[in-house]
Amino acid sequence: MKKLATVALAAALLTGGSAAAPAIERGGDLTFGRYADSLLLDPVWNDANVDIWIFTNLYDTLIRSSPDGKDLEPGLATEWTVSDDGTEVTLTLREGVKFADGSDMTAEDVKWSLDRARNPEYGIWNGLIASIDSVEIADPGTIVLKLKHPDPTIIPALAVFNTAIMPKALYEAAPGATDQEKAEAFAQHPIGTGPFMFESWERGTRMRLVRNPHHWEMGEDGKPLPYLDSVTFEIIPDDATRILKLKSGELGGAEFIPFARVAELDADPNIDMQLFPGTRVTYLTMNVRPQLPDGSPNPLSDVKVRQALNYAIDKNAIVQIVTYGVGKPSQSYMSSTTPLARLEGPLYPYDVEKAKALLGETEWADGFEVSIYALAGSADEIAIDSAVQQMWSQLGVKLNIEQVDNATRTEHYRSGDFQMRNSSWTNDINDPSQITSYMAYYPLIQSVHSGWNNDEVNKLFDQSQQELDPEARAAQYEQIQEIQTSEAPIIYLYETPYPVALQESVEGFHQIPLGNNIFAKTWIEK
Amino acid sequence: MPSPSYILTRLLQIIPTFLFIMVVVFVLVRLLPGDPASAILGERATDEAVERINRQLGLDQPIPVQFVIFLERFFEGDLGNSIHLKIPVVRLIGERLPVTLMLTAYAALLALLLALPLAFIAALRRDRGADVVIRGAFQVGLSMPVFYIGLVLLTIFAARLRWFPVGGFGETLGDQLYHLFLPALTLALSLSAVLMRNLRASIIEVLGAEYVDFARAKGLRPRIVMARHVLRNALISTVTLFGLSIGTLIGGAVITETVFAIPGAGRLMIDSIYGRDYPVVQGLTLVLAILVSLAFLITDLVQAALDPRIGR
Repeated sequence: MKKLATVALAAALLTGGSAAAPAIERGGDLTFGRYADSLLLDPVWNDANVDIWIFTNLYDTLIRSSPDGKDLEPGLATEWTVSDDGTEVTLTLREGVKFADGSDMTAEDVKWSLDRARNPEYGIWNGLIASIDSVEIADPGTIVLKLKHPDPTIIPALAVFNTAIMPKALYEAAPGATDQEKAEAFAQHPIGTGPFMFESWERGTRMRLVRNPHHWEMGEDGKPLPYLDSVTFEIIPDDATRILKLKSGELGGAEFIPFARVAELDADPNIDMQLFPGTRVTYLTMNVRPQLPDGSPNPLSDVKVRQALNYAIDKNAIVQIVTYGVGKPSQSYMSSTTPLARLEGPLYPYDVEKAKALLGETEWADGFEVSIYALAGSADEIAIDSAVQQMWSQLGVKLNIEQVDNATRTEHYRSGDFQMRNSSWTNDINDPSQITSYMAYYPLIQSVHSGWNNDEVNKLFDQSQQELDPEARAAQYEQIQEIQTSEAPIIYLYETPYPVALQESVEGFHQIPLGNNIFAKTWIEK
Repeated sequence: MPSPSYILTRLLQIIPTFLFIMVVVFVLVRLLPGDPASAILGERATDEAVERINRQLGLDQPIPVQFVIFLERFFEGDLGNSIHLKIPVVRLIGERLPVTLMLTAYAALLALLLALPLAFIAALRRDRGADVVIRGAFQVGLSMPVFYIGLVLLTIFAARLRWFPVGGFGETLGDQLYHLFLPALTLALSLSAVLMRNLRASIIEVLGAEYVDFARAKGLRPRIVMARHVLRNALISTVTLFGLSIGTLIGGAVITETVFAIPGAGRLMIDSIYGRDYPVVQGLTLVLAILVSLAFLITDLVQAALDPRIGR
């Protein structure tokens, strides 16, 4: 009797349990509208978001970002440990992983992929894992990284796309004399361990990925991912056309929905308008060097001037005007989704009186003229600059807006021949070190070319790059952010999510804060 | 008919023209502020990375040296690789240019089909109802910007009525002609307006000419008067205008290709200029220069065929 009851209970629990779970339907093709085509599908030699954001569908890394971007999860490595002195990382490789062509992934493939990714001559991402001195195969299921010094960023770095594991034998068989040539050849038909494999690509029009029958990760129904049979990327650069195609049902999803259209699509019962938290921050860079390029004194070199300019901007108004309420005012120079970001409320709350008072304490109390480089044709940048121009006129500060093309602006900016420019940034790694090294640290690019050189921050950053104690490191970053935000070498504006619109029938699509599009768990309700 | 020596002279004139164009484009694009490495790296650019990439691309050499290397490779049939797309420029142009040419030819054809008959009707019914309506309709078409017309057509005929696909290119020839109809129509509308006005004025002028009166007085049937005397002479200036407009059509293709998501050379050119993708800009300019020169040549030849005063 007891046995029968147990069996009955077990049966009830099983059927009751599965009835509560969502009925995932397998199969089908998802056509996704992209604003631009990929350029080079190689993790090491690529240099653009358009490639990075779809890599996770073709390749896997040893470690992965959690969906909310705050933690790290096992990928092709199931476990990892860091030695006490921080100079050795031991990774246990997942068993039974195969590449899309059916060949087994071995420790050789892992060592070779990491060595390639860290080669200083290859591509522009090797710096993220520059602390690796050597990669060793301890046994067929274990890889040991020997580091030159303790590196708290190495674990997050192993979740970055450039460390994706590729098939050594297949890659080396590709035609080409140099690694770059081989990369370009192999990238015409890449093979990885990811949920999808490459099928075809008509450049500028369409790319098609189909299910990888050998993928290792299991779905909720106990069978291997992905749920979809295929994903087709269609390239539609014009925003209005892309949305039209979505609304007419020709697309299952579309990325980069302009903020102005978000409310409209949200109200459409057939469309699921998603705003995925991102790491994108928008700000205005200032040249804070003591002198302007023509030798005259630079008003932006005075910290009180910079603070006044920040106080004089109504961030909430700008968020409304430019992002139609979709964005949020910045709380730091990094996005609130970056680990160790300071979250003490929006910076420099709008206060015109305070701004005037601060400006009054400087030699620039009567106002001054300053020019800003905006990207010609960018509606967002012009909107920001026009609003800022109006707000600063209350201080007697005249903002001149100069519209130029991207390459021209970059040249002026990198040579320090500018006063202000519109800027934005998206993280490539789940760690504050990358953005800090570019924005607050002088030695790399002079604090985003502003010329802001703070010894304390430089020192704190260098220390944090070898600090293994998470609490100590968090304290260092707290200080770095406090100093940087009080000295205000930039004008803080807002951070924005990724606006992706999907048909109501499409479930399970996800975009992590770093920007990667995850189609592995996507399915279509028929 | 133009003499063979005339044709040969015109063909030979193309060579120095486009050598000149090549030098100008080569130098100009390098004089623009900014460089491909910075364009690639964007906010992530460090000085070392930029230097390394520029070195790999051979851009640290003086401009004359780069030009010589470019010419050497050109005579081997190698236009270099796209800096951004990493594939050979020849292949890239081979994939994208035919699309733009197809779109442009389609648009030119539609423009002629619209302009010619309507110009005739307008001219023959001068200042009467039909004329006013035709001129008015074309005036409206001429005043609207290309991207606006394109979006309107796309919204009504594609998204709402579903008579046409919402942008894109298509696989087979028939499918492509179907996809390209709306974009070609968009491009054709402003050109046809210009052609229509010109041809109408031309026909009216010719109709009043003495040799037409003479032909009628001779007793020739009206149809023969129209074909042999009026049409042939009226078309002279319109053909010239048409040939000169080819360049504008290709320019308008850029916007149309963006709105309708067509993988053509117009968009490629714009993207390459913004990204300072020198090999693509050079290669594409070279090919376009040849094509436009040929278009001008053909225009001249047709004109010479129509007008016996030219081409001896």
